Amino acid sequence: MLETVLAVVFLPFVGAALTPLVYRVLGERTAYYAAAVAAVCLGLVTRLYLTGAHGVAAVEWVPSLGVSLAFYVDGLALLISFLASGVGVLILTYSGGYMHGEPGQAKYYATLLAFMGSMLGVALAGDLFALFTFWELTSLSSFLLIGHYTSEADSQYAARKSMLITVAGGLFMLVGFLLLSWAGDTTLIAGEGSLTANAGGVIETLRTAGLFVPTLLLLAVGAATKSAQVPFHVWLPNAMEAPTPVSAFLHSATMVKAGVYLVGRFRPFFLSETAGGHGAAAAEAAAALVPEWTVVFATLGLVTMTVAAVLAVGSTDIKQLLAYSTASHLGLIVAAFGIANSYGAEGGAFHILNHASFKAALFLVAGIVAHEAGTRRIDRLSGLRHDLPVTAIVAAVASLSMAGVPPFNGFYSKELLFEATYEYAHEIGGLTWAFPVVAVLGSVFTFLYSIKFLSLFLGERDEALGHVHSPPLSMLAPPAVLAVVVGVVSLDPMIAVNAIVGEVYGSTVPGEAHSFTVGLPTALKPAVVMSAVTIGVGALAWPQYDRIHDGVRSALRGPVRADWWYDNAVAGLTALSKRVVPRVQNGLVRTYAAWVLVGASALAVGGYVAAGVELPALAVPAETTVAVSVVLAVAVVGAIAVTDAPSHVAGVLTLSILGFMVAVFYVLADAPDLALTQLTVETLVLVIFLLVLDRLPAWYGETDRLTAVRDAAVAGAVGLTVAGTVLVSTAASPDTIAEGLIARAGLPPGEHVGLFTDYGGGQNIVNVILVDLRAFDTMGEISVVAMAALSVLTLIRMRERGEAQ
Amino acid sequence: MTGQIVIAPMLVALSTAILALLARFDGRVEKAVSLVGAGGYAVAVAALFDAVVLAPGGPTTLTYGVSDWQAPFGIVLVADALSAFMLALAAPVVVAAAVYSVVSVDERGQRLSYHPLFHFMVLGVSGAFLTGDVFNLFVWFEVMLMSSYVLVLFYSGREHTRAALGYVVLNLLASALMLVAIGGLYATTGTLNMADMARRLADPAAYGVAVAPTLGLGALLLSVFAVKAGTVPFHFWVPSAYRAAPAPVTAVLAGVVKKVGVYAVIRLFFTVFGGAAYASTSTFAYVGPVLMLLAGASIILGGVGAAGREDVDGLLAFSSIGQVGFIVLPLGAAMTVPAATTTLAGAETMLAVLGVTAALVYSLTHALAKPLLFLASGTIRSALGTTDFAQLGGLARRTPLLAGGFLLGSLALVGVPPILGFFGKLLVFRTVAEGIAAGMPAGALAAATMLVGAILTIAYVTRGWNQVFWGEPTERVQQLIPVRWGRSRFAGDGDAGSSSIAPDGGPSTVTDRALVVQVAVVVALALGLVGLGVGAEVVVDAATDAAHAATGTDAYVEAVAPVDPGAEYSPSHAAGAANASDGSHSLDASAAVDGGER
Repeated sequence: MLETVLAVVFLPFVGAALTPLVYRVLGERTAYYAAAVAAVCLGLVTRLYLTGAHGVAAVEWVPSLGVSLAFYVDGLALLISFLASGVGVLILTYSGGYMHGEPGQAKYYATLLAFMGSMLGVALAGDLFALFTFWELTSLSSFLLIGHYTSEADSQYAARKSMLITVAGGLFMLVGFLLLSWAGDTTLIAGEGSLTANAGGVIETLRTAGLFVPTLLLLAVGAATKSAQVPFHVWLPNAMEAPTPVSAFLHSATMVKAGVYLVGRFRPFFLSETAGGHGAAAAEAAAALVPEWTVVFATLGLVTMTVAAVLAVGSTDIKQLLAYSTASHLGLIVAAFGIANSYGAEGGAFHILNHASFKAALFLVAGIVAHEAGTRRIDRLSGLRHDLPVTAIVAAVASLSMAGVPPFNGFYSKELLFEATYEYAHEIGGLTWAFPVVAVLGSVFTFLYSIKFLSLFLGERDEALGHVHSPPLSMLAPPAVLAVVVGVVSLDPMIAVNAIVGEVYGSTVPGEAHSFTVGLPTALKPAVVMSAVTIGVGALAWPQYDRIHDGVRSALRGPVRADWWYDNAVAGLTALSKRVVPRVQNGLVRTYAAWVLVGASALAVGGYVAAGVELPALAVPAETTVAVSVVLAVAVVGAIAVTDAPSHVAGVLTLSILGFMVAVFYVLADAPDLALTQLTVETLVLVIFLLVLDRLPAWYGETDRLTAVRDAAVAGAVGLTVAGTVLVSTAASPDTIAEGLIARAGLPPGEHVGLFTDYGGGQNIVNVILVDLRAFDTMGEISVVAMAALSVLTLIRMRERGEAQ
Repeated sequence: MTGQIVIAPMLVALSTAILALLARFDGRVEKAVSLVGAGGYAVAVAALFDAVVLAPGGPTTLTYGVSDWQAPFGIVLVADALSAFMLALAAPVVVAAAVYSVVSVDERGQRLSYHPLFHFMVLGVSGAFLTGDVFNLFVWFEVMLMSSYVLVLFYSGREHTRAALGYVVLNLLASALMLVAIGGLYATTGTLNMADMARRLADPAAYGVAVAPTLGLGALLLSVFAVKAGTVPFHFWVPSAYRAAPAPVTAVLAGVVKKVGVYAVIRLFFTVFGGAAYASTSTFAYVGPVLMLLAGASIILGGVGAAGREDVDGLLAFSSIGQVGFIVLPLGAAMTVPAATTTLAGAETMLAVLGVTAALVYSLTHALAKPLLFLASGTIRSALGTTDFAQLGGLARRTPLLAGGFLLGSLALVGVPPILGFFGKLLVFRTVAEGIAAGMPAGALAAATMLVGAILTIAYVTRGWNQVFWGEPTERVQQLIPVRWGRSRFAGDGDAGSSSIAPDGGPSTVTDRALVVQVAVVVALALGLVGLGVGAEVVVDAATDAAHAATGTDAYVEAVAPVDPGAEYSPSHAAGAANASDGSHSLDASAAVDGGER
């Protein structure tokens, strides 16, 4: 099984890598090469299905982090794999006709294949981080495909929007995954020893740490962004900037299903408490009647289903209508999975298949219409059945299924949702009665826009439309195949249930479950009434469609639109950046220096305070002589005088008083080496300063009072910090290495001359330190001096070139 | 004998710098010296990595006493798994930047001083990674600063000089603060050797050390390292310096020099100060929240700053500020919950190990991705004379390989798997998530900052991509890159070289071959990012070893084995020292005779 799964997932990537080469040979027929790769994958998935493969298979990836390329095969995984590879074959074939004469085809097919591999990876991944890896790769390929027409501003906008929303959502999900793997001490999602297998314990750990709800919400953000749930649905309509085959493949049949897949995959884990029997936490959760899972996902799904259906009614473009419709139907699946009863799981599982079949068909129909009629505007299109008869049949079958009209397949899964919401409300009561009501409301709008789509093919042909070509076979066959799938499932839904949907259902419920039955209703159950109400109200409202459409459009203004929030956030960010940066980076070194010094002082003082350092008592040492006192007093006076110097030259000269006094202090403190060094440096600095100041303006203007006060405060704070640092650190008397060195040499304290002659070969302790003990430091500093010389050279010699640049 | 490998990378860099200075008589010889030196540096680092990390029996620590003085009296170089990791991080960037320099930096500049300075910078970086002595660390910081200072103002124009002024002023202030802190540390602890200092801080009474001031002194050092790493509010020099320096220099500054600050934080605060206990607090309890504050501010300011830039270099510079925040965040997070444990490589360890591992893997990602992006930006500048968004557009179709490399580098910053960046992000997120699970204070805020920062990264990366690589080619692009690179430009088709018109209308200095090499360097770095992502186990392993070395103070002290100055001399102690070799200044009676003969 492992080999087959690896082949399924990685073959498309290999195919993608080879695409540029193949394109050189085959040109536009690369479409059929890509379709062949997809067909092989489909065959391999079929093989997995036929051999009844089930369970985990893994290859190691990063064992240190417990991350493996683990795969988990079950009904849900196989269904998504069938969709990815099966729809893949159709889409790639269709592209052969659709992309005729378009630019960037090698990149297009390579990206589509890479996407297909990623999607298969998402479906089959059994490890949290492997799932995340493929998840992000689908977002990435979606980004590249939406931006296919790279020079169009709309494509760029749409690509960036989808990337921002889906990748950001993925990062939320990643944090959720990390919490799960922390609590479960495993990264496996399902199968033996996995999170789902130990759900009770894992959930208890999460609840104890207060992280259960955050984890659930983090995963919900991931699923909602990917599956375009309100309010993150905004990226999906824009994603229609991609070529239509991409819309059909990624943005209706497969990639957007990833979020739904995640919900289905984690449903058994999060609902394990309701399935009974895992300790105190389970009992507690059971006592709370509606699990958090249902609160989050049933609400999210039903809101999305209704809001997106209303938006679809307000659409003016056929692809936009289908995009909102997709969000709405994904909401239906999420809502169904959200409801904690078996009807919910059945409805969700079945609708994944049904939606993929009718919606992909409709997108391909939309592609044919746009390609052959040259427009996608709803108000321009009508009577298309005259020009596109076969397409019209496909559209009819698919849109009636989308509307949920019996006996088409969309009806069965919607009926299951109605049943789920009704039964749940009946059982729990209270606010949960909102579930069935909202479900019906959303379905009414779904009925309306579905009929609107169908009506494009009905009625009289609009003469303004001009000549409509017939589509090539490569574009007609794929939607026809999908319509046949819709037809077969419609005629006998149990074929689909027995073949795979039953297993999918089994994957999404906690505990053991294998199948269920579905068929046309034979008794007047509440769900049947709900369907009847939906269709009845829909039919009554249909004559008013244009008014509802206009009403929706006029209501969509300003902050009501989720787009308004997105656009303002993105534009606001750019504007904020442009406002903030000049304020922070104001170009004044003075400001920067103040921040660094104050920051450092605050850190140091904070450290002293935190550690409870006590300032040593200030006392005049007994050995202080008059000379030392005078020298230091002059130094202080010099320092104060600098701040009041009338000119730069005066300031430098006053400053040098301080420096020379320090040198004198060294002399008095028996440190002739230091004194010599200090005198040399001080003299040189003074001379250089004066030379430079000669070239600078004598006066920069008045400083205002506020600046002066601020600078004084900064200087005072830094000065006090440094003084304090010196005080507290010199108060200590540790055993220093210097003393240790002398002691180790067996010499009496103070008698270190012998040590340095013997060990260092020199009479002067400073010299021995510089050239032997710490010669490495000296070498480094010599290189610094050498570089300083080079810098002067560079500054002078490169100047003309730099100025020219 | 094995100890000598420790100094090899530094010797190679120093010799190369000196030879390059001597080889100024001929530009081609000088370039060859520089390239061979960079290659030799990589070999030396590889040998050291092999000897330290891949040693039989697990990672070990090698020491080398410079001038043959024993710790703590002289300066000791210490190569443990952490130092080896940092050097291994630096080596590929050094090689890439050296190759790129040869084909991109102004010819006259290369003859003048570029190559010696470049290798001095490498010397400074290596010294900082290897030294086991606090004052010596200061010296290598200075070497690094001086060389990079000249390299930042290399083109000596108005904005270069201005940027360099800010750079050098802030870094000199930091140096002054560092001297104050190091002086204070010597006065309080009585030693400069890191291992000795760690030992004394862990057991202050035995050495007469009054430990209290060391927290504040350490915090002062932290601010110095924050200046090097460029975290808010010590970041001010970053944007202008990165924009002013030649592309390969910026690559090394952002890729490696910044990481020296990160390394120093890890080395000092985990290895040296980690064991210190204060009256009512600990190093971690004080430094942890501080680091998280710096990290959070950096993440937000860097992200917001990058989101509105109108040129590639500006975007990348602000991005660096934000990315360093992501590197520092796990260090702070792990410090705030010192008792927390985690599972790494199947064994239970301290959360601190995970935090350091996260910082290191993220550092490696950033060390490859940011140079890649800066070099790609440099190539755009080479070909088009600008990186302003307004002048760019549609490059994806004109320069597909460069675009591909840039995209991978950008995605590494976002953390898209299977690029190495994903594992960096994964580990950082994991540290914070497990910190929250362990009751980290303000954990929700940290998580929110981290997620907002990650979203900001996506925002600026996609904006930059759209502006530069998608969209209609501007007039400038159409004029200077009339056909796709690789179609005819690189095929040696002379006429396609009509693109050789410099921005100012004169003949361009950049040749086709130079562009081929530049793009090749970018692509190589991109492949490295993907390769290391797919083979992340190697990286995570090495980083985990390094993190164990960083947090294993006792093992570090034992390996360096500073002689105890207060204790009575015993021959066995000296024999146990890793670098005890014949003629060493081991200060026993016989050595005194040897010493006298010198």
